[in-house]
Amino acid sequence: MKMSPEYVKAQANMQPGEITSDGFLGDDSRPLVDIIAADEEIMASLGITFEKAVERMHYLMDEGRKGLEEPVTVDGRWVVRVSEARGFLASPFEDGIFRKVNARVERAPDGKPTGDVLLFSELSIHLMEKYHFLQGKGSPFRIEPSSIKKVLEL
Amino acid sequence: MNAAYFIAPAAIATISAVLAALISITDSIVNNYGDVVININDGSKELDVKGGANMLVTLAETGIFIPSACGGRGSCGECKVKVTSDIGPHLPTEIPYLSKEQLSENVRLSCQVKLKTDVAIEVPEYLFKVQQYDGVVESIKDVTHDIKEVYVKLSDGAEVDFRAGQYGQIEVPPYGKIRERTQRAYSMASVPADTTHLGFLIRLVPGGIVTTYVHEHMHEGEKMKVIAPFGEFFVRETDAAMICVAGGSGMAPFRSIFYDRIAKGKMEERDIWYFFGARTEKDLFYLDELKKMEEEHECFHFIAALSEPEEGSGWSGETGLITEVLDKYLKEIVPSDQPKEGYLCGSPGMLDACMAVMRNHEMQDEKIYFDKFA
Repeated sequence: MKMSPEYVKAQANMQPGEITSDGFLGDDSRPLVDIIAADEEIMASLGITFEKAVERMHYLMDEGRKGLEEPVTVDGRWVVRVSEARGFLASPFEDGIFRKVNARVERAPDGKPTGDVLLFSELSIHLMEKYHFLQGKGSPFRIEPSSIKKVLEL
Repeated sequence: MNAAYFIAPAAIATISAVLAALISITDSIVNNYGDVVININDGSKELDVKGGANMLVTLAETGIFIPSACGGRGSCGECKVKVTSDIGPHLPTEIPYLSKEQLSENVRLSCQVKLKTDVAIEVPEYLFKVQQYDGVVESIKDVTHDIKEVYVKLSDGAEVDFRAGQYGQIEVPPYGKIRERTQRAYSMASVPADTTHLGFLIRLVPGGIVTTYVHEHMHEGEKMKVIAPFGEFFVRETDAAMICVAGGSGMAPFRSIFYDRIAKGKMEERDIWYFFGARTEKDLFYLDELKKMEEEHECFHFIAALSEPEEGSGWSGETGLITEVLDKYLKEIVPSDQPKEGYLCGSPGMLDACMAVMRNHEMQDEKIYFDKFA
């Protein structure tokens, strides 16, 4: 699939050492548009939409913030810890900068942690919401569609 | 064999070598900016340096360390310097990190500014004291399930002079998929009187490069670089009661501050109310030493609060978010007619929430001190 100049530049910005030390692509050597297209297919096959997933991630991030850096139990279903490091991260699409805010969401029915964890940042929500980009295979911040379905209970 | 098989590759190799040489020569001519002068704080210091590199690196090479949480990769927006001479317009890579006011005052990201000509800048005077220290990790231990206490012994008899409450930047080596050395900033938890050590409390941030290294790879005896001291978070010497609030690794600067005041015999000079928030008992630490401190010093009041104490744990202390407990104490327990100063350590969200509570109790913004992360 042919990539627009915007996506070519974004893929260059996603390489290790450009914005983050380990980049956004992991071991994935596919063109950015192919990574996105493949994940869109997987999401559709799992019956989840990006919009629904992003909506729940925003909700959990907002609820987690109320813990002021400590973990909080949300709706008796998740334990969420939102933490923030100094500084910002630029979007590889050059459309904004984002605070280094991470949410660690663990599924915990009846308050009992299961070990099913989803980790995402403000930037990763933006990349998912605007570009349907879940990051490349092997990237430490890759968001697996199966984890989205399981942890977010979609 | 046909000679053409050798001639073609040889010709291509020769052309490539000539082109590379031309590029190298052109680069040395075009990018040779010669020597430039950096005038700091209206002539307070003048540095003759080689032009061409970025200002952050050049200043560091002369021993002036501008705070930078990303090590100069242009992603943290912390290495701001006010430039008072004309060095051209802001770059697109700087603009997102600067407010309108900073843009109008010609504040620049020093990691993005290439030194091509003489330049005049303004930096806080305290930065002249910042140094890079080589050290060895003397001890690393768990204080909770996700916070480690790290003590670094400075090498070669070096001594550090810092104020309780300030922070340092620690640097970790490449590991795993991380290909570059990485720096992050952490408040000192050690006491200034111990000039040969720097101590830190480092909480694991999921996915964090430096915190993951500290928690999973760092070992006692390994070498480590620390750049310190940074920051303007320290105790103002007044008679006002100190209202201190922290959670997690935000304990670090307060531990340093309290022990510093004990060492200087100042613990009885003013009331100190220290509010520390955690989720469950397993997130609390240094509890015994803080309780002992409270017993030994009449003016020191320690209030730990758990937001979600475990059932059957027997927790008899305060419960709720630390902001709720702070509100309760400011309403009912801390004398309302007492002048107060706020001291906060945490994320912007935590600081905003605490400041809102303090404002509700008529504490003034200019008397609330913190090192906001950004």
